[in-house]
Amino acid sequence: MDFVVKAVKKLSLNEWGSKFLAIFPLTIWLAACTDAPKESSLQSSQDTLYAIPWEEVQAYMKAAPSPLQVAAWLKQEKVSFIREALHDPTLATKYGGIQGAATLGIYLTDMAYAYSTQHYQEAYEYLSSVNRLAARYGVDDILSVDRIRLLEKLQDRPDSAQKLLSQYYGEMQQRLEETGQQVMLRHMILGGWIESLHLTLALLEKEPQKQQLAEMITLQKSLIPLLIKLYSIDTAATASSRQVIQHLLSIQESINTVVSESTDNRPVTKVEKGVIQMQFTSKATGLSAQQLHLLKRPVSELRQYMIKV
Amino acid sequence: MRAFLRAVFWLSVGLPLFLSAQTSCKDLIPTCRDAYMENFGWDGRYWRAELYGGETSEIYYTFFRGIRYRLIPCGSSSTKAPLHIRLYNANRTLLLDTRQQGDRAYWDLELSTTQLLLIELYYPSGDGCAALLIGHRAPMEASTRQ
Repeated sequence: MDFVVKAVKKLSLNEWGSKFLAIFPLTIWLAACTDAPKESSLQSSQDTLYAIPWEEVQAYMKAAPSPLQVAAWLKQEKVSFIREALHDPTLATKYGGIQGAATLGIYLTDMAYAYSTQHYQEAYEYLSSVNRLAARYGVDDILSVDRIRLLEKLQDRPDSAQKLLSQYYGEMQQRLEETGQQVMLRHMILGGWIESLHLTLALLEKEPQKQQLAEMITLQKSLIPLLIKLYSIDTAATASSRQVIQHLLSIQESINTVVSESTDNRPVTKVEKGVIQMQFTSKATGLSAQQLHLLKRPVSELRQYMIKV
Repeated sequence: MRAFLRAVFWLSVGLPLFLSAQTSCKDLIPTCRDAYMENFGWDGRYWRAELYGGETSEIYYTFFRGIRYRLIPCGSSSTKAPLHIRLYNANRTLLLDTRQQGDRAYWDLELSTTQLLLIELYYPSGDGCAALLIGHRAPMEASTRQ
């Protein structure tokens, strides 16, 4: 405990956000003392092996953008922060198993979004929840006290902190893979993906003038078939996998109703001094309130399926 | 008995060679990262495969508009041939083959709209390990640093 106290004393506390950050290592340390999760139907489900080589699974597994990549894009789009759209970080202790892995992805997305919109206190609340859940899968050392301190030091350099968080996320994925927890990794990726879609819809609803965010919806036309494949290739087709596929099919149906564009985009490509620039002719069309409503329902249903306690 | 001895021989010779190829490919990744990632952010993820007899490795990746990506093909082949990249759209229509653009250690990529692309790694000749690292940064970061 002494090292935490010393670290707190060493920090210069210039603003309320910094004060929170100063006690954050302690929060993380305390977070390790978690309650046992209550079992739900999704938690108790066992998943299975894949019928195809892992290299092939990987091709689908990494198709969905990482939470950090989504956050970097949202930052670029200068979006606002909508706290009420995020998942409750205090529920972290309630999850375990594959539901916990999915929620880990959800919290990672919420954390990255809060961080990219400079809501540091909220970001660290989510980081605490991520740490609690990560402990269940043996990856909590990736977000150790030392590493959190390093993040604190980079608070005035958000881009560097963002890079560091990206690195931690990558390490987490690598570790899950190397420790034979590919199934958990798949659910973490799905959780991160559904939260990014949920957030985009919430942002489009709140800021309808930012219609360029609709690109994320158009993207799903190419992405969802890969996610469906990812859940169709496990050998046992468990109840949870079948359930996820049903939800994904519902989302796909809504997206196809709303987005008419073809996925066969052919850009004008220019290559100069090692820089490839691809100019696509098609642009994402905006979404009406009615279309948003149509999309929100199936997205919300899958999200609820993952986070219900 | 002879078959058994042959199997033992190939296992004792082949397995260490296979493992060493795996390790050397993994070992290349930090070298490529340190040499070419520069000020791009890297999420620590990479793709790695052993390619034999014209095999290719495929990766789907989402590229966002407004972000510059750095693609670093990283590997070594038996013929010293460079590792090349083909980029396809989600419908597998070929968009670009870096082999037609000359040999480079890395390629930067920018897209006018957010897209899911399929990246294919291949060696024009020989066998070898192939890995890919993808870095990203906002174009604004690039201009402020230069």
